[in-house]
Parts: sequence; structure tokens; C-alpha cells
Amino acid sequence: MSAPQINISDVASLARLTLTPEETAKFSAQLTQILGHMETLSQIATGAVPEVTPPAQPALRQDIPTPSLSIEAALSNAPAQANDLILVPRILE
Amino acid sequence: MSLAYETIATLRRRILSKEIHPRDILKDLFTQIDAREKTLHAYTYLNRESALADAEKADLSLPLGGIPIALKDNLNALGDPCTCASKILEGYKAPYDATAVSLLRQAGSILLGRTNMDEFAMGSSTENSALGLTRNPWDSTRIPGGSSGGSAAAVAGRIALAALGSDTGGSIRQPAALCGCVGLKPTYGRISRYGLVAFASSLDQIGPLTRTVEDSALLLSVLAGHDPRDNTTDLRPPEKFLTQKNGSVQGLRVGLPKEYFLPGMDSETESAIRSAADWFKKNGATLVDVSLPHTPTAIAVYYILATAEASANLARFDGVRYGRRATDARDVLDLYHRTRSEGFGAEVKRRIILGTFVLSQGYADAYYRQAQKVRALLRQDFEKAFTQCDLLLTPTSPEPAFPLGERTQDPLKMYLADVFTISTNLAGNGAISLPCGFTKSNLPIGLQLIGPRFGEETILRAAHAFEQAHEFFQRLPPS
Repeated sequence: MSAPQINISDVASLARLTLTPEETAKFSAQLTQILGHMETLSQIATGAVPEVTPPAQPALRQDIPTPSLSIEAALSNAPAQANDLILVPRILE
Repeated sequence: MSLAYETIATLRRRILSKEIHPRDILKDLFTQIDAREKTLHAYTYLNRESALADAEKADLSLPLGGIPIALKDNLNALGDPCTCASKILEGYKAPYDATAVSLLRQAGSILLGRTNMDEFAMGSSTENSALGLTRNPWDSTRIPGGSSGGSAAAVAGRIALAALGSDTGGSIRQPAALCGCVGLKPTYGRISRYGLVAFASSLDQIGPLTRTVEDSALLLSVLAGHDPRDNTTDLRPPEKFLTQKNGSVQGLRVGLPKEYFLPGMDSETESAIRSAADWFKKNGATLVDVSLPHTPTAIAVYYILATAEASANLARFDGVRYGRRATDARDVLDLYHRTRSEGFGAEVKRRIILGTFVLSQGYADAYYRQAQKVRALLRQDFEKAFTQCDLLLTPTSPEPAFPLGERTQDPLKMYLADVFTISTNLAGNGAISLPCGFTKSNLPIGLQLIGPRFGEETILRAAHAFEQAHEFFQRLPPS
């Protein structure tokens, strides 16, 4: 497998980022180089190897309600709010 | 001598004997900060007034009673900023305490301030901070390492007694090595990450940066333990570390992984590490040649998995609930785009894009899933090595601190600075870095001791024995 060409603008859009033309050019070159380095992995035989999964934890706690952040604390950093709600730009006309 | 030069263990003894009061420690620390912070820029925020008020009411009978501690700027502490050195968290004030912060408070410690870092812990030099770079106390033209560079520079520069950092791929150990202090990355699951701003959740660990191994053990004893709010934390009961200090390494089997001694590595670093290994042998330890054969793949595995996880974790920064919000957005989608594009710096954008790509349709199998499988092989390497030895001895960094600006335009070269620390995060083991020498130009060199999972007691004992038999930890950077 050779390093693929990333369409940087498409991937950035998936990540909800808008890049300047300068960023697009710079990141394209840098990410091509970085992905080239990652090609070493394709040469490792991993056929029967299971993927690493998160450590098994028997540590699930009882589903009992406990105190958490107050509404006031949870909204204390909201850029815009009213009536205990966070305001965002309109999504429906 | 200024109390800013003392260790926590010494200051605790002096506080308990009523020889000094915590306000005396703060006074000396602030004097040092006033003299050195302008050059170092280790802090992003100082709690001068609240620290002095807390010193007056500290419960001195507690394990860290009256001891000021600095926090990396990615740990939430109620009422304080938590910027992650990013413009996107401008104005944010933490509405709660991280569990680690809460444990420090419960142990009587005083929050001194918040330390600089690479934005969202993404970097190896603390040059990726939106709040300005931090300088190395030993040579102000050089980087302090990263991403916990502010914590390491503050501790080594004698403007903090100790600091917490976070380590996702070496971000505690590498700056500790480059600044000449002690940095501990505990085993994954040892310390709760609740309230640590997440970068890569399968790798992140909180840990202490201190002047001595004894202080490191003291902080680990306070911070370790299960937390219902982080279900990756281990269920074992709380432990006190390094309560027995006999200074012996007799009978210890010390593994030297051949992949960590590369042709062409910095000769002064190699020489210091070989001398450290010789010290262990002379003092009754057995040196064992071991192999971690998948080490050459670690950087690639890490930068796939860490960026993939980061792309998901950093999706929460959208301008809706907290932090910066772009103005004049047409709609919600435009709000996300503008907020994130204005708020994130270049390295964060680069990693989010890389992480989004390796998870994207058509590429996830070749990159993300393959990396998870190779991670399993890396883990097996460690498990096999620890059947032959009790700990692994390696350099922490392939070279001492490099000059500021040298790698900012070459991300791949910057990523390679983590080559000796990353595997430990991928395997989940604990590791410590401590000073083991200095270059001819007086730059610190760090020794890394890696333990089996939950083997902190072994590495702390060995590190303490080595430290106390040498004078490296007593050396002071130029003032």
C-alpha cells in the first residue's frame, strides 16, 4: 500500500474545520509525509491478532442518582443563555 | 536558603515541627517567581491571593498540609481558568474540580497556579501554546520539552515545588528529562482522569513532576485509587508508595531493550544511560538483554490512535456550551466551523484532520484497525520482556533539549522526539524519568525506568536508590 493522497478540504469539512488556502497547502504536504511514515505498519503481519480493546472493567457502578452539577454551574460558561437554556443560532426557519 | 529550593518531604517535616509556616514557603516561591517567571514563562495563571488565603487555613496535619502545588492547565480546578493553552477555551472557568485536584485539596495542599503546555497536550516542546512558549531553565534558548513543559520548567526552575502533568505519549517524562526533574507516568488506571481535558482517552494518565523520587511517591500515594467517575481506574485498594527506603537494588533484574540503544543516538545521552546501567550492575542488580521488537512501529501506531481519539474528544469544542464562540455565524454548522477554525492552533488542526482521516470510510481498516492490532503486539512485547526482568532501563529522550524553533516547521521530526516514551503509553505500563547526568554544555539527561503494569513500587524504589547515590538531583540551573 502506498500513502494515499488526502483530500484535505473534504476531511477538514468532516471535522468541522475550514482551512485557509495556506493551511490546506501546508497540511497536505505535512500529512502526506506523516502518512508515508505510517506505511511501515502495513508490513506487519497481524492476521490473527485481535485489536486492542479497552481494559475489561468490572467497575460499573450501581445506577443510583447522585448529585451532579447544578444548572447554574453547568450554564456558567455558556456564551449565550436564557431561561436555563443555551442559545444557539436558529436551525429552522 | 530559600524554601523554594527544598523538597516537599523536607518542608513537611519543617511544617510539622512548627519551624516554618506555609506562608513562608509561598513568600519564597513568589520571590523566585518574580525573579524567573519573566524568562521562563512556565505559568499561564497564578493564584497568588487565594494561595495566601489557603495557607492561613491549611490543615497542617494532612499528608500535603500547606504544600503549594502547580497544575497543568488542562486540569479543572473549581473557579480557575482551564485554557489547555488554547484560544478556544478563552474565558472558561472550571465549574468543578478534577478528581486529582480534589484529592490534592483533601490532602491539604494549596493550588499555586496553572502551568503552560502544548495546546491540548499536543506537542513535545511547549511551543504549540497559544499563550506563548516556555523556556528551559538550564538554557533559555532551548525548549523545556512537552507537552507538560510549564510543569517541568517550574519545578526544575525552582518556582514550584511540584506540579501535576498529563502524559499521553511522554508528556510528563520527556519534559522532566529535558529540564532535569523527576516525572512519573503511572500505570493506566492508577489515577482518575475525571476533570482532565481528554486528548486520547486510551492513553492519557495524570502524574507528578517533582524534584525527588520521594516527593513523586508522596504525590502518587495521594492521587492513586479507584474513582467511580473514571471507570478505567483500577479497583485495588489505596496504597502508600516508597514507605520502605533501603536504597538497595540487590537482586533486581534490569532489562536493557536493544531497540532503545540505536546507532547514531546522541553520544552523551547513550554514555549517561550506559553509566546508569553500570551503577545498577555494580550495586547487585543483574543486567538482562531483552527485545521489544515492535518498537520501530510505535510512533506510527501512536499517531494514528492518539489522533483518532483526539478527533472524537475535541469534537466537543463547538462554541455552544463553553469557551470561545465565533460571532455572526449564519447557522449552527457555520458556528461550529468558524469557532473551531478560529479557536484551534495549527498542530491541533493537523491532528484532528489526521485523526478524522484514519477513521474515515475506506481507510479505517488500513490505519486505525491495523494500528490497534500492532498495539496488541507492542503490549505482548512488554509482557514477554517482564517475564525476564523486573524493570526496563532506557533513555527517556534520544537527545537533550533542542533549540527553540528547530522543529516547529517539521511535525514528523517533532513526533520522533517521543520515540522512547510512546510505547509505554500504548502498553499501559508505568514509567519514571529521573536525572542521570548532564551534557558538557550543562543540559540534563533523563533515565527512564519502566515497570510492569502496577509496578510503581518497584520503579520508585530503584529510582530512589539511584537518585540518592548520585548528586544530579541537587544541581541547580543557572539563575
